Amino acid sequence: MGGVESHLYQLSQRLIQREHKVIIITHSYGNRTGVRYLTNGLKVYYVPHMILYSEASMPTFYGFFPIFRNIVKREKIDIVHGHQAFSALCHEAILHSRTMGMKACFTDHSLFGFADASSIFMNKMLKFTLSDLDHVICVSHTSKENTVLRAALNPQMVSVIPNAVVASQFKPDPGAQDPNFITIVVASRLVYRKGLDLLVAAIPRICQMHPKVKFIIGGDGPKRIDLEQMREKYLLHDRIELLGAVMHHEVRNVLTKGHIFLNTSLTEAFCIGIVEAACCGLLVVSTKVGGVPEVLPKHMIIFAKPEEDDLVNAVARAIEMIRLKEVIPIKFHDEIKEMYSWVNVAERTEKVYDTIWQMRIPPLMERLRRYYGCGVWAGKIFCILVAIDYLVWKFLEWIFPEQDIEIASAFPYQKYKKMCQMADKEVVNE
Amino acid sequence: MSSIKFCPFDGYRFLGEEDKCVTCGFDRFLAVNKNWDSLTNSPTKKAQWRKLLWIKQDYPDNYVDSSFLEELQKNVNVRAYDYWTVLKESCVISQHISSIVIFIAVFIYLYLDMLSAQNLIISGTVFTIIGYIFWDKSISKTDPSYEYKRWKTAKGAVLFFATLLCISPILKTLTKDTSSDTIWAVTVILFLANMLFHDYGSENRTNIKFPGSLSTNAAIFASVLLASRLPSNSHVFGLMSFAIEWFALFPIFRRYTKSLSAKFNIALTCLLFLLATLLFLNISKAIVTLFILGIVFITFVCPFWLIWIQKYKNEIHGPWDEARPKITTYY
Repeated sequence: MGGVESHLYQLSQRLIQREHKVIIITHSYGNRTGVRYLTNGLKVYYVPHMILYSEASMPTFYGFFPIFRNIVKREKIDIVHGHQAFSALCHEAILHSRTMGMKACFTDHSLFGFADASSIFMNKMLKFTLSDLDHVICVSHTSKENTVLRAALNPQMVSVIPNAVVASQFKPDPGAQDPNFITIVVASRLVYRKGLDLLVAAIPRICQMHPKVKFIIGGDGPKRIDLEQMREKYLLHDRIELLGAVMHHEVRNVLTKGHIFLNTSLTEAFCIGIVEAACCGLLVVSTKVGGVPEVLPKHMIIFAKPEEDDLVNAVARAIEMIRLKEVIPIKFHDEIKEMYSWVNVAERTEKVYDTIWQMRIPPLMERLRRYYGCGVWAGKIFCILVAIDYLVWKFLEWIFPEQDIEIASAFPYQKYKKMCQMADKEVVNE
Repeated sequence: MSSIKFCPFDGYRFLGEEDKCVTCGFDRFLAVNKNWDSLTNSPTKKAQWRKLLWIKQDYPDNYVDSSFLEELQKNVNVRAYDYWTVLKESCVISQHISSIVIFIAVFIYLYLDMLSAQNLIISGTVFTIIGYIFWDKSISKTDPSYEYKRWKTAKGAVLFFATLLCISPILKTLTKDTSSDTIWAVTVILFLANMLFHDYGSENRTNIKFPGSLSTNAAIFASVLLASRLPSNSHVFGLMSFAIEWFALFPIFRRYTKSLSAKFNIALTCLLFLLATLLFLNISKAIVTLFILGIVFITFVCPFWLIWIQKYKNEIHGPWDEARPKITTYY
């Protein structure tokens, strides 16, 4: 489970607790299809969708419209909230919801440059979706700047609401640490963007400089081979432990073994990993990229430039701090608990929903005008897409009239909660 | 900055951006979140907005500070071009186009029997040997360990051309059954590919990498196709050996002259241009006109165009860019 998925789950849970009705629409994962209920009656629709490459869905433009309309109508949805700019499903859902005259907002979880061809294409796609949207949420101020530039938005339309951690799942465990060593933990996908080249270059130097240091590296990916080769070459088998892919619920057990958390990412919108690590009481060493400088107070984090020499120095400083026992894990944990909580995120997201609820729904002409302004060529293509979408909607209204759609009964959250409480009481009484 | 100037417990005065009270460890910024500033009884002045996520600030989530996009940088990597420099640099392209035109002209002369295969083979060999002597001189200056490779190179060349001679009959009949129209059309496409993927930029003289290798392959493939239209085996051998000399070895020589001196390079460009014009004059006046116009466009108009179009350059950099890792030691 990555950052975005857990974000969706946690945010939905908090919103349900605040008496909202939340459903999630996503594409099917292997044989995980159909409709499923998660904790507290969070309903998830796994829509059949063609998978292009590594869980990325294929753009269908209008193929998704009938089923989307059906779900939205039967669940009586008011606001559509899309996540992640890479997701074709999200772009389509927002387009269709606007066509049907609904409110829509969007959360951007990643940063994008302006240089290569793929980012130019992605930025155009983003501009398309964001041209006609009520509000955008970004996870950090840097991400906001990036999104505003990419989609040429009014910055007032963009809110910054960070991610959060479930602090109770990331409690420090002083007993888990190896008392004879200072342990440095790395937990990320082992890919280029996470700065694995820096890591591979820095680890042998750190091991050489500090004989009492060992590494635990969790995660998997194409750069794992580089790490293994480095370990072979410098004979560091007893100092570097490669765990492979770590399940989300086991991350805490890996983190608590360490004293220092090392993040070498080259780009990062928010970096939930360093917050989770700090929550477990680890001192964080991170490259100063993207939104990372905004995330943690400076007594919890040591910054390094994305350069090998600077990274080695930063780790040396961190090791010195651990030696002098300047880091008190439980204090870190308590501070993080105050800083990032999902309840707070849900409250702030609710505020966004309240504002967009007040907003007027633009007529088709106004929407077309907005899309037309997207570019000389793109504007015209976008207008065609939107106009066809409108016709498809009218066609669907005619062929499957709204009154024929069966309304789903709502999950009785209050009743469910009472039953849970009663069950809890019985357990206590026994 | 926080509005708390003194620690509420022991009255310690916070200096600058200090986070904590030195005496009791009271955290100044966490205190703001807990609304402890009422304890200090100071008039509550609105704290300045900070670009941080971990503090709770008294601003709406969509607040836009005056520091918004402060770190945005525009056109940092742009360099100003000078017309004459760009013009000189464009020579490599004219050279390559001229060389393709010359090759096609040579093929047409062979095809129409205006040039005998023997003459082509002899002149090709002579020029290759002259070129090799040049190359030898230049490389033995920079790389003294080169000496022993000379024998190896000669052996390789003899072996290679002997093999080529042996397979000439096969090459001749390889695409014989394909109609001439197809051959001409495919050849044009292949030469265009050769032109597009040719390695114009690098100074590399020893190993050819992708997409330069693709370019060479396209040209050789085109020559194989053209060879099937020729009447005899010696014609095929002549054209193929010329193709290898012209498309694989000659670019190396051109790169060498470019690194040698700019004057040499310009002279070579003019020479190739004149040769191409002269050779094609007998074949088609229309193509000569087109060729001259094309070269003039590339050499004189395109540099001007490039410089003019620079003003539309809008390159954006900022903290969201993917950092380039700087690595000093490779494992």
